[in-house]
Amino acid sequence: MKIKFDFISWFLSLFGFRRTISLGIYGAPNVGKTTLANRIALDWTGEEVGRVSEIPHETRWVQKKEKIEIRVKNKKILINLLDMPGIATKIDYRQFLKYGLSKKEAKKRAREATEGVIEAIRWLKNVDTVLAVMDATQDPLTQVNITLLGNLEARKIPVIIVANKIDKKRAKPEAIKEAFPNYPVVEVSALKGINMNELYSTIANHARFRK
Amino acid sequence: MKFKKGLRFDFVSSSVIEEKEKEKRINFILNKVKDGTILVTDCVFTPQDEMDLIKETMRRVDSGFPGIEVASLKKAPKGLQALLETFSDSTNKIKNFFAMLRGKKENKTPTKIGITLIGPARYIKKIKRNPNSFSILAEA
Repeated sequence: MKIKFDFISWFLSLFGFRRTISLGIYGAPNVGKTTLANRIALDWTGEEVGRVSEIPHETRWVQKKEKIEIRVKNKKILINLLDMPGIATKIDYRQFLKYGLSKKEAKKRAREATEGVIEAIRWLKNVDTVLAVMDATQDPLTQVNITLLGNLEARKIPVIIVANKIDKKRAKPEAIKEAFPNYPVVEVSALKGINMNELYSTIANHARFRK
Repeated sequence: MKFKKGLRFDFVSSSVIEEKEKEKRINFILNKVKDGTILVTDCVFTPQDEMDLIKETMRRVDSGFPGIEVASLKKAPKGLQALLETFSDSTNKIKNFFAMLRGKKENKTPTKIGITLIGPARYIKKIKRNPNSFSILAEA
């Protein structure tokens, strides 16, 4: 689903009327961004955000779920959830052939994926707070993670790192905490719904409008 | 200089990178990398420059050029150097602001002390990063 720029929210924000926090879900491809977006949206609205696939770059456009109210104890926050395409420094159409796609389909997917990366980067101007999703079974010290966090810091955008896939045996969420000690890290399994209350509590405490 | 076999590494001084405006700098890097060269330089780009490099890379991806691999190490500034870096960042922001008011393009962006390697993804098979080092496995 392609979305258009929300002119009304932008216009109102010029006068200080920002009704909702734009919560962007960022990360490399296949770290579980859409699974997490679906889990959050399902928990609070009963509806999903987008389709999940084992083929990388399934999300190639920004997917949005608006006005999700998260309630934790006495706190209530209203968010627009933005599920971003995965950020990558390389996209080789040949990787999609392994999943049974034809050469034509693979090339089309690769082209759309490159556009998705550009769109996700462009949206950094619009998000208030970011959930930086990392796969806890993988080495967290990747250039994408380093560049993403550096960029968010430079733009003064609050970040919560989500160490996803902790239900898997190979998961090492402590490696993420060691690699990025200056950020709040929440260990979750978006797929199984493990530790989601801690994530909601962290979102309620850390999410805010960007400076 | 063209090589028929093997991997070509170009070691480029940070002064060559720094003297170029952002657009020309990204073009300089990507033209080399798309040509199959692994570029090594003694500086680290700003996070914004890194994102712009990724964006421009995505625009150039095709069946023969799947993209880039990047690895960098930044030297953490200490004491007076940290102060000078902060001062330099601020003065550059002011310079860029006035350049923008005069309708000129963004001024040269300063880089940080460190090391950066940028190479074609089709040759760089694996990068292993540690907080203070990185290893590259590359194959032509």
